Amino acid sequence: MNAAGTARENGMTVDAVPSVQVRDVVKEFHLDDGQRLVALDGMSLEIPAESFVALIGPSGCGKSTVLRMIASLDTPTSGSVTVNGNPPAALAANHRLGVAFQDHALLPWLDVRRNIELPYRVSGMPVDAERVSQLIALVGLTGLERARPKQLSGGLRQRVAIARSLVLRPEVLLLDEPFGALDAVTRRHMNYEMQRIWAEEKLTTLLVTHSVDEALFLADRVLVMSARPGHVIQSLDVPFERPRTVETMRSELFHRLQDELTAALDSRAEP
Amino acid sequence: MAAVARREKGSALLGALGIGMFLLAWEVIGQNRWLGLTWPALSDVVDYLFTPSRQTLFLRALTASLGSLVIGYCLGLVAGIAAAMFAHTVSATRSGLDTMSAFIHAIPSIALAPLFIVFLGRENTPAALAALSTFFVMYVTTTSSFASSRPEWIDLMRVLGASRFDRLRMLDIPAAIPIIVGGMRLAAPSSLIGVIIGEWFGASRGVGVLIINAMQNFQIPLLWSAVVLAVIVSLSLFALFGLLQKYAERRFR
Repeated sequence: MNAAGTARENGMTVDAVPSVQVRDVVKEFHLDDGQRLVALDGMSLEIPAESFVALIGPSGCGKSTVLRMIASLDTPTSGSVTVNGNPPAALAANHRLGVAFQDHALLPWLDVRRNIELPYRVSGMPVDAERVSQLIALVGLTGLERARPKQLSGGLRQRVAIARSLVLRPEVLLLDEPFGALDAVTRRHMNYEMQRIWAEEKLTTLLVTHSVDEALFLADRVLVMSARPGHVIQSLDVPFERPRTVETMRSELFHRLQDELTAALDSRAEP
Repeated sequence: MAAVARREKGSALLGALGIGMFLLAWEVIGQNRWLGLTWPALSDVVDYLFTPSRQTLFLRALTASLGSLVIGYCLGLVAGIAAAMFAHTVSATRSGLDTMSAFIHAIPSIALAPLFIVFLGRENTPAALAALSTFFVMYVTTTSSFASSRPEWIDLMRVLGASRFDRLRMLDIPAAIPIIVGGMRLAAPSSLIGVIIGEWFGASRGVGVLIINAMQNFQIPLLWSAVVLAVIVSLSLFALFGLLQKYAERRFR
């Protein structure tokens, strides 16, 4: 499967420095009763610049913890996490990081437009009104600029959160189950939208999800994590050309890869 | 939705019924003098309160008390919120300020009033006591309200690279506003208590002065009228801030 590669990878220099590197990370949590919980052990991954990597794994395997480390919201017990060779905190401090959380994390007292403008205000940069309008159009929220988050459906809120994560053209985009709370139809719809947006923005992206379909449809490479203590047990370079369509998802290869990844997820669930 | 509205309407109706029964009992007890001469009928008190010749007396007392209330309340409000913000941004000061405000609150106003009179003079004591009780309520509600920033909002601010000050300005304060306004509502009646206690210790004017004078001279209808006046002021402020709180909750949640 790796031999197939992707069009994108073929176009890149072979020894390009990976944008995001997670190396031999161990993460331990100390529980209230004094016990230690090893969430991650020997966790390594690379996200090459301008590529889309999806991380899938059983719930509780620590995939969100990996994302939180790259977002500098959490630190490894041992091992290293770097972004372009720097500690991840530097990326956040320079306002070069975009994150869409599972919970949309919109501020309820701001309307749609103000929520999307928030990264400008936090970074102290002047608000690029045109960029904001473009993004509002890109995620399909035109006409809802003045609406408050509580007036929007779950899918629309998630679009606002995605627009907000993209607004500063971040170096790294982290998506933590952004569609996890949506129904299947909305979710599939959001996947199409996400692909369209990503085709326009081409960002170094990590998607954490438990949906095999979503990972295969969106990513250049899918990494499968083991159950706790989590580490990568399989890496798959997705062979489909972009843009991917409904036909892609109906193809025999898609189903075969889907089965393969599902099996990889499942193998660790058995004792 | 409709069920909730119906239940709210029902409880409002029940509340009105309760108040009506209380006022009726007041009137009947007074009319029949079941509790002696010191319990006047409600109608007598209302009559006394609204006699045109006494309007100047009540108006003057009310103006004096409200003046002290506004000054003391605003001082306490600003100081309480500012201290809470300081404790929030400079976390090293948090436990010290917590202890100090609890300590101040533990001293009864009655015990402090004579001290204040010596330090600040008779005319300033009502406002000072009002400021003190407002300070405590505002400090406590504001510090606890900063805990209302949800963890995912805090994560968001961190990944956006927000400074401590930006986080305070863009997240903690807006998220805290409904609770702070709730604190303002609670502080209003306790601030009025401070004013009245302060006035008892020898201010020249005010509702508290009326109360203490009427008691000492056994002017029962005047005493009751002054108390009713204080209650009206207190409840009006409480209701007014209640509306403000409703608005804040709609706007910021």
